[in-house]
Amino acid sequence: MKSIAGLTVVLALVPAAASGSPYYMRLATLALVYMAWTVAFNLIFGHTKQLFLCLNALAGTAGYVAVVLALQLKLSPWITVPVGVAAAAGLGALFSYVSVLRGLGVIFLGIVTLAFSLIFHNLVLGLRQLTNGETGLVTRGLGFPLLEQPVPGYYIFLAVLVGALVLYQRLMSSKSGMAFRALSDDELTAELSGIDVTWYKVLAAAVASAILGLTGALFAFYNGIVSPSVFSFVGIDIPVLIALLLGGMRTRLGPVLGAAAFALLEELVRPWGQLNVLVYGVLLIVLFTTFREGLAPVLEKAWRAVRRQRSNVVLSQINVGADGKRTMSRTRM
Amino acid sequence: VLPILFDGIVQGLQLSLLAVGITLIYGLGGVLNLAHGQFAIVAGVAAALLLQLGFGPVAASLGGIAGAGLLGLAVDRTLMLPAYRYRGEERLLLGLILTLGFSFIVDGTLNWKFPEFSLSFQLKVPLVEFAGIPMRTASLAASAVALAIFAALFAFLKLTLTGKSIRSIIENEVGAELCGIDPARTRTLIVCLAAMMAGVAGVTQGLFSSLGTEMGPEFTILGLLVAVVGGVRSINGTLAAGILLGIVNAFASHYVGAYVAYIILLSFAMATILVRPSGLLARFT
Repeated sequence: MKSIAGLTVVLALVPAAASGSPYYMRLATLALVYMAWTVAFNLIFGHTKQLFLCLNALAGTAGYVAVVLALQLKLSPWITVPVGVAAAAGLGALFSYVSVLRGLGVIFLGIVTLAFSLIFHNLVLGLRQLTNGETGLVTRGLGFPLLEQPVPGYYIFLAVLVGALVLYQRLMSSKSGMAFRALSDDELTAELSGIDVTWYKVLAAAVASAILGLTGALFAFYNGIVSPSVFSFVGIDIPVLIALLLGGMRTRLGPVLGAAAFALLEELVRPWGQLNVLVYGVLLIVLFTTFREGLAPVLEKAWRAVRRQRSNVVLSQINVGADGKRTMSRTRM
Repeated sequence: VLPILFDGIVQGLQLSLLAVGITLIYGLGGVLNLAHGQFAIVAGVAAALLLQLGFGPVAASLGGIAGAGLLGLAVDRTLMLPAYRYRGEERLLLGLILTLGFSFIVDGTLNWKFPEFSLSFQLKVPLVEFAGIPMRTASLAASAVALAIFAALFAFLKLTLTGKSIRSIIENEVGAELCGIDPARTRTLIVCLAAMMAGVAGVTQGLFSSLGTEMGPEFTILGLLVAVVGGVRSINGTLAAGILLGIVNAFASHYVGAYVAYIILLSFAMATILVRPSGLLARFT
């Protein structure tokens, strides 16, 4: 919890550092969106080993449901966003349940979800009268007025991210966290020791899909326009996968670090235009073959080393004047 | 109705040619190749470059196909090595990510070097009557080539010693290794062959219509769908599934439009995985 609070303070200071520049505010907000998506993907892929290749479709389902309902039925976004989130959570849970039921391995679940991602894309293109096809729908003025201003919008997404992190923390420190750890080590052993593997996998998928959906729906309103390219496979699934690998799977702050590092990296390669696809490919290969641990464990180790050195310095100062007993017990640490 | 049916079969044979490589690499190497469509594109691009250099269409096509084979060789001997160190699920996952990354590298490079590229052979193709239907000779020639390749592949797998050892590795890798078969060498051969078959499909696409550098993912997905419906370990299942999906696609595109046709194909593949994971047709390698 402490590290989440620290992170929140750091992220809350970003608008002050950006000094209201709309360009930097948009970049920072985008980074928050990807952070929330990566936290969700960490739950699905990192902790319960379910390879969902349809993050774009889950986020996009929530986004399109929220926008289309608001446009067609003139409903308030306070109603349509929860409906969209529920649709995404339901779909995620369904995929997870079916995959456990049919005993699909990582690969087959990957193919099924990839097929769903493509079905979503073609449905959006095909249902032209609802979605306006490739051009997309204008959402400006449709959603929450506060969301469309740069700085308040940033804080709304920050709230979503912190909410997701707190939810993640609550899950991991409760019984379900233990179940996740057990089943990601060995599913059969987990099942044999009385853990309801089906329930915990479906739970992880549903919670993560809800986070994906909420972020996707809010992003649809924030962005001013929804089109198939806003929720594309290459635009969401690949960056999130890279961010998760970069930050470190199965870590609390890894997804946030990874998404931040990825956002920076993408800003660096932007001048080269089309080459970002090539960079994604190289990153995927290099990260997966040589850097499977990710940034978070490396940084944590460095942080511990620094702290140990610092406490050594403090100890040598204490040694001079303070009582020996206390020094002894501190030294043993 | 009959012209649509023939159109479907012609397309289906090309799909089978693309998918059989995915099937072979999955069965033999335990890797689901997500860069398979990119082999087809590379062959097409290489053929087009050779055409520009003044080679004849046949020589250029063969050169393009050989280029895809060389790329397959290089990928198998360098990129895939980390994946081959593992077995089972771990290898599948690593192979999936590595080939996905490689497909992005190919797409990115081609889009960067040849942004406005399209390959189409400017051949005079006369129409001929075939069973009372006007057909383009190019379609007939492409189908004949595809059928010949399948016949050769079956003969190779059934009759030669190398073919038999390939089938034994598909059956059981450890067992085959214990019998003195070197899986690594056989794997390289198969990846090479698979890449060349994808290359044939890519070059043929240039015969029918045009081939663009952005079509790699589409090719990969189509091949993957056919391989899945055929059962990802069965070669004649893949051939049948390719023709079946080709026909389904031709009819669906004609009657309900391209988007719905694609959704039908995808649902077909999804349903196959959920209902009969070993493929729609009986398993037979």
